[in-house]
Amino acid sequence: MTQVDQFESAFRAATKAVYRPEPVALERVLIVTDLDPVDAQGFGQSIEAFLKHAAGARSATFQTIAGVEARSTGQLLQLVEDAAPSLVCAYRNLYSDGWKWPHSLGEALDLLTQTTEAPVLVLPHPKAERAADHALVNTNRVLAVTDHLAGDDRLVHWAAAMTEDGGTLTLSHVEDAQVFERYLDVISKIPSIDTDNARATIEARLLKEPTDYIDSVRDALAAANTPITVEALVQLGHQLSDYRRLIDERRIDMLVLNTRDDEQLAMHGLAYPIAVELRTVPILML
Amino acid sequence: MPVLAFSEGGHHEVSTSVTLLFSAILVAMIASLALEEKIHAKKSLIVGVFAIVVLFLGMVFEVVPGSVPVDILGETLTLPIYIPGIDWSVIAIILGSSLFVDVTSKSGLFTWIAIKLTKASRGEPRRLLWFYGLMTVVFSAVLNNVTAMIIVGSLTGVSLRKLGRAELMLGFLLVEGLLTNIGGLLTLISSVPNIIVGTAAGISFVSFFVAAAPFVVVGTALTIWMGATLFKIPVLRTDEERAEAQRQVEGFDENDGVQSKGFFTFATVMLCAFIVVIATTSVLPYIQDLGMGYVALTFAAIMLIRYKSSVDTYYRAVDWDLLGFFAALFVVINVMEHAQVLTMIGHGLEVIIGWGDVAGTGAILVASALASSVTDNIPLAAMLAKILGGMGTPSDSALWWSVVFGANLGGNITPIGSASTLVAVTIMHKNDLKVSFGGFVTKAVPYAAAQLVLAVLYVLLVLR
Repeated sequence: MTQVDQFESAFRAATKAVYRPEPVALERVLIVTDLDPVDAQGFGQSIEAFLKHAAGARSATFQTIAGVEARSTGQLLQLVEDAAPSLVCAYRNLYSDGWKWPHSLGEALDLLTQTTEAPVLVLPHPKAERAADHALVNTNRVLAVTDHLAGDDRLVHWAAAMTEDGGTLTLSHVEDAQVFERYLDVISKIPSIDTDNARATIEARLLKEPTDYIDSVRDALAAANTPITVEALVQLGHQLSDYRRLIDERRIDMLVLNTRDDEQLAMHGLAYPIAVELRTVPILML
Repeated sequence: MPVLAFSEGGHHEVSTSVTLLFSAILVAMIASLALEEKIHAKKSLIVGVFAIVVLFLGMVFEVVPGSVPVDILGETLTLPIYIPGIDWSVIAIILGSSLFVDVTSKSGLFTWIAIKLTKASRGEPRRLLWFYGLMTVVFSAVLNNVTAMIIVGSLTGVSLRKLGRAELMLGFLLVEGLLTNIGGLLTLISSVPNIIVGTAAGISFVSFFVAAAPFVVVGTALTIWMGATLFKIPVLRTDEERAEAQRQVEGFDENDGVQSKGFFTFATVMLCAFIVVIATTSVLPYIQDLGMGYVALTFAAIMLIRYKSSVDTYYRAVDWDLLGFFAALFVVINVMEHAQVLTMIGHGLEVIIGWGDVAGTGAILVASALASSVTDNIPLAAMLAKILGGMGTPSDSALWWSVVFGANLGGNITPIGSASTLVAVTIMHKNDLKVSFGGFVTKAVPYAAAQLVLAVLYVLLVLR
């Protein structure tokens, strides 16, 4: 029945995820701070000005929470729940001076990303001075980050909604090269599998699916007259270092990535290290 | 009708006890083929062992000579008896066709057609069944039953899962399996029994097609209609259902398997040319003497030029078990002929034929079908073709068609009746559909019975 497998493979390969655009309902934006009311208001206004560049946030209303409004993480979560925002903006290490050490998200942000229904836009800390010089100015260049892009319509909806008109949306799919090499190492020890052929065909197939999907995104957004440019970045690599390099090289204004994993309470595997380490630009965590 | 005519070619006189001994060996071989799955042995080895045994016993009992003189271009060569005993033109057709189809499929042409049809169905289950059914028949006719079942069956599994209609898979696969044997009736080269019987009867490709096509059309429609009714294949009622189904099938990309546009176009042209040349072989100057085997091998060679540095890959993919099976089978049948076994069976057939044009012809068809349902239809076809040929049956006799229809349609009664129904059951099991031997027979018998009734009526009313 080898031939059945061959034809099944051919037909499965021909089954592709096709992107269908949907508008993102970005009505209320809640900006969470631990600042005093005056600083909070100033911070809120700067974030509002920044987000107004995003095509999907033009008609949104903005609300800022100052530090005095919530004295504990529990109170903060309740405030967010009551506000029922469509987007929460916050920064790392709320209500702590942990921001001085770039090794954690802090309890409040960690919980916010996992408990609220709304996506969380993680901003550079206002006091840490780690923001890139191009950060928080506009959303001209947005980078969607994943290792499983094909079929992830929601990620693309949000990434497109965050991109300024005339801007560039880079859809990236970076397969972990170390994992790939680990499997290839195992394959190289199996006599019945041609290692060179396996390397070439598996790599080609891994990268073809996201590439095809990005093509469908490009076609669908063009058909919907969405005035943004879609770029593809599909490769094998080391995810964290590659994204860090891309942010600098392409002067990325915002990262967009998935955070939640239906099978676990903790943050999605790739999301946590990115959220902790890439502190120079805003990161939208879905 | 001179039943013994074919045995008057200088064969040795054979005692009844020797004929009975060889008859018992023939029965044992057919039983072994029927139990192929149980004894875990390939056809070629089973029949090969019997060929070795009957050749040896044939020498011991002086049934066959060890070697025979063969005149080739005025030069007399002495060849072992098992070499001229093989019908090499049949072997050439099967080898050439399978190589041609295998290389052509690499162009992505067949998957392209299959996906185009899937998209054209817009994901409507009832329409999909009709499209897949028609595709099965056409692929069975143009390629071969097994390849058709593999292509359409594997697409069925993938597309029904994508459409969220996995519960319909059993009905689809069963109907497709049954239709392979209907499609296998369409042309002279659509199935091996057709090649054997058609060649023996001297029926041309075009004559075969003209005679068989009306039955194939009606039989296909009947089978799909029964499948849609008995398996309750639904028609989508709401716009939402239709829109969702359409959205799902739009995700198929028919061009994904097309590696090279140029080769794709070339393969399409070559496939059309292959069908035309095969169909007109009997009237083409020079080609008509070289035969369909030459045509098949020529087209295979032309296609292989595309993969000239890796043709060995395609040689390895040839079904050598099938070819070995044929070669050994021809040897066995040849020895059986010399041992007067076929004459003895011919006497039995003469009794049935003696029932009259109507009852005799119908009985041969039904008996062929019943025999084909439990064992391979190829030995049956080879044996009956030899017997009918030996009886001097004219090529326009309905008896040839009784054998052709019976041998092909008998495969629809049980899962072991034909290689393509066996593939259908294997794909069912692969998709976690538990279908036992009895379960298959229970589901398939209404279709097979309807097809056989239709075939008997068709042969008696149209072809007789």
